Amino acid sequence: MTTAIIPLPIAIPLIVAAFLAFAGKGIGRRACDLLAIATAAANLWMTAIILRGTWSQPQVYWFGNWWPRTGGVALGISFVVDAFGAALAMLVSLLTIAGLIFSWKIFEDTENHFQPLMLIFMAAMCGFSYTGDLFNLFVFFELMSVSAFALCGLKTLEPAPLQGAFNFAIVNTIGAFMIVMGIGLLYARTGALNFAQVGRSLGTHADALVLLAFLLIVVGYLAKAAIVPFHFWLADAHAVAPSPVCVLFSGVMVELGIYAVARIYWTIFAGSLAGHAHELRLIFIVMASITAVVGAVMCYAEHHLKRLLAFSTIAHSGLMLVGVGLLSPGALAGFVLYVLSHGVIKGGLFLCAGIVLHRFQRIGEDHLHGCGRGMWFTAALFILGAWGLAGAPPFATLLGEHFVSHSAEAVRLHWPVYIFIFAEVLTSAAVLRIAFRIFFGWGQPAPSDKSSQIEEKPETEQSHERTPAAMFLPAAALILLGIVLTFLPQIQSRASASAHEFANQSAYARSVLENVQITSTHKGEPENLSSSIVHSCIALLLSVLLALSTVFRDKLGRAVNFTRSLELGNSLLRRAHSGHPGDYVAWLSFGTAVVGLAFLWWLH
Amino acid sequence: MSSRTRTVFFLCSAAGLAFVFAWGIRDLPPLGDYRGPYGNVVTQVAVYERHPTDVVNAINYDYRGFDTLGEEFIFFASVLGVLLLFRPAGDEDKKGKRETKLEDALPISDTLRVSMQAMVGIMIVFGVYMATHGQLTPGGGFQGGVILASAPLVVYLSGNVKTFEAIVSSPLVKLAECGGAAGYAAIGMAALLFGAHFLTNIVPFGTTGDLFSSGTIAVISAVVGLEIAGGFVLLMQNYLREIIEERLRKEK
Amino acid sequence: MLAYLPYAIAAWVFLWGLYGIVTSKNLVHQVVCVAILQTSTYVLLLAIGYKVGGTAPVFADIPVGTSVVDPLVQALMLTDIVVEAAVMALLLSMVVKANELAGTVDPEELRFLMG
Repeated sequence: MTTAIIPLPIAIPLIVAAFLAFAGKGIGRRACDLLAIATAAANLWMTAIILRGTWSQPQVYWFGNWWPRTGGVALGISFVVDAFGAALAMLVSLLTIAGLIFSWKIFEDTENHFQPLMLIFMAAMCGFSYTGDLFNLFVFFELMSVSAFALCGLKTLEPAPLQGAFNFAIVNTIGAFMIVMGIGLLYARTGALNFAQVGRSLGTHADALVLLAFLLIVVGYLAKAAIVPFHFWLADAHAVAPSPVCVLFSGVMVELGIYAVARIYWTIFAGSLAGHAHELRLIFIVMASITAVVGAVMCYAEHHLKRLLAFSTIAHSGLMLVGVGLLSPGALAGFVLYVLSHGVIKGGLFLCAGIVLHRFQRIGEDHLHGCGRGMWFTAALFILGAWGLAGAPPFATLLGEHFVSHSAEAVRLHWPVYIFIFAEVLTSAAVLRIAFRIFFGWGQPAPSDKSSQIEEKPETEQSHERTPAAMFLPAAALILLGIVLTFLPQIQSRASASAHEFANQSAYARSVLENVQITSTHKGEPENLSSSIVHSCIALLLSVLLALSTVFRDKLGRAVNFTRSLELGNSLLRRAHSGHPGDYVAWLSFGTAVVGLAFLWWLH
Repeated sequence: MSSRTRTVFFLCSAAGLAFVFAWGIRDLPPLGDYRGPYGNVVTQVAVYERHPTDVVNAINYDYRGFDTLGEEFIFFASVLGVLLLFRPAGDEDKKGKRETKLEDALPISDTLRVSMQAMVGIMIVFGVYMATHGQLTPGGGFQGGVILASAPLVVYLSGNVKTFEAIVSSPLVKLAECGGAAGYAAIGMAALLFGAHFLTNIVPFGTTGDLFSSGTIAVISAVVGLEIAGGFVLLMQNYLREIIEERLRKEK
Repeated sequence: MLAYLPYAIAAWVFLWGLYGIVTSKNLVHQVVCVAILQTSTYVLLLAIGYKVGGTAPVFADIPVGTSVVDPLVQALMLTDIVVEAAVMALLLSMVVKANELAGTVDPEELRFLMG
């Protein structure tokens, strides 16, 4: 049963999207919304069944019945669904439903093109999580990107959304074509496009060609994942995209870039780069740490709600790259748990930002001071979201952080845990600061800056007295899911076991090319979370203190003057985020060159 | 960054990139020395397994047909995106503005008019030929669809603006586009009804070299041609409208 | 040396495309430079698939088993071209719309997203 429905989460939304594109104007706005929500709900159900079917054993699905030939030559395209991919697809469907329900109350004038684009976006991300073929991964990457570009530039009454969408499109398209070059180079060496077959053909030694292919592919996917210095597009895109779309961008699209790097490394390059794992690990962790620090610092310096949350996504994306970059199964388990929990929490926070925009028609922290007094539930959601971003119990981000820090210790790297704490403190404090200022009206209004005036045009026509249930319920459900995830039965052991399967290159190749089912023999021990709980409670405490000192700066005097410079940000760093696409591409080239030279120097 | 800083910064990075490329490219097999198994295996088996004569399209629509489905939807999503971006703002008088749009075309010379009118028939026939003969000759749905979509453009260039407007506003165009897109996925789903995997070929293969051969490859090729033709016609309509609208704005 | 020329050309065109995007003063020019960058991938793919003495992989009038060039890279390139067309269409529509709203296509003047 599971195998039969594997292609459906991709095929069905695509057919419904085509139908909606044709008949959308005829059947009216509400029917389109209902059909889209029903399709997303059907996807959620199907991806849940697939997750249950692949919980302990990956399933391989060959399109067109093109099973591999003797000798392990794969002519067709395969989907290789394991628990990680299935869980990600479920997250995609969940966030799409939340976004579609949220948008019930907005977008009066999209001629019903919004719903089909969301469905295509969802189908593309599900396909991306399931696939086992290099070029198929690229095709879904592009499908995901094109629908994202279109959704980002949705609000066409102002030039800013178009500029944001343009910057997004230019950087991601260049990344995509780097991926194609990398795929071409791998094909030249191995004559195959299937992950398992390429991995087998590469053997155990990596020469300069393999390194170049690895560089191009990794840079392309990390550009999507908004790792410094490929990250500039993300803040622009989030500042101008509608809230339900931002939910999908930050909740799962960015994380899929890092997932792609993990998948490609472990199925293709693990064997050939094994000799240089230590150097590669350091390169990844340095990039990830710089991303986390830059993202966190810029997050605190922003006063535009959505841009602030966008920079916090960049910071957390860096933390997730730490998980993958440690190149160990334990850290991979942490990565997946972090993706799932961060996805729902960040999604919920973006919906809350959308609620604020809906109620008050403004999104800058300086203009919203004290406006939210009385909105207790939304305030509670913001505070819970900040709590989750700090990685404190009972949120599942704690579990993710635990596995990653543990694995870092195992390879004798003691400093990633401090990067985690730094990023978590600043991003969580930024959200708390917003909550204190907007919903409680504490302290003086925030300093005003140019970025907080971006996109003041609201998503609905006039300000409203009450928050509609269609907006509030998805936000609350998502944030509460961040807590529920922690207590799902066997989640820790299953994540750990799946991570060990994920990282087993030869077992993967055998199950794909020879249809041999390998059962996992990894026995996870119950984890001792106490040290992580201590770290995360310290992080939460620090973030509350930082937020309070910033908000009450005038009353506390000179001791907390540093909060003012934190809030204004580093002017050089801010000037680098200039909104000019040429700048972004220059940074992209710089980053690629530096990483490429690092690969050649240390890995060759 | 200032323009000069940016250029200098980029040139340094480009030098580094060029070095990395040069280092990696040295290890590629030299031009003409194709080694990989994929091409060798597929050229041996494709004609026997599916009876096409064009192996490239056999790969495109059968062996790797799922990629092509994704690619078709990339184009579909992009057309949707363009329609979304060019939609009329709420306060414009939709009907009134749109009707006068394409009437304001620039005057056309007689040479252009006559030659374009002669071209229309040729383009339609050639486009349909390309799209339906994908399994036999190089070409196929994408190429045929683009040629077919150029036919209305040629009508526009020949000065028959009213005919052009009638063609592009017809719901058949949207039906072709959406039907083509959904049709491909539906052909894939049809295989599921027979208990096979998605996009398995369930139509009889016929004889190699015949028009009705190679099963679903021919059907998919035609369906893709429809979608691409419809999509490009919609794109052209929207772009032309925007351009003329801008010219009118400038003239005011 | 000559055997590596197409690959070198692909890298060269890629870098030129990047240069064009970075130094451009017009959004339409930038979009066209992205298209140029994409053509470098076509050159690379086709060069990889070439086989000396091979002919087109169409067996209409040649027997199966004749030496032909690799058909897969041509299929990949077809997909690539359609992707390029789709992305170009969308990018250009963004530029046209931005011009309509802001009156300019100079990226230096479109500074709505600073900081």
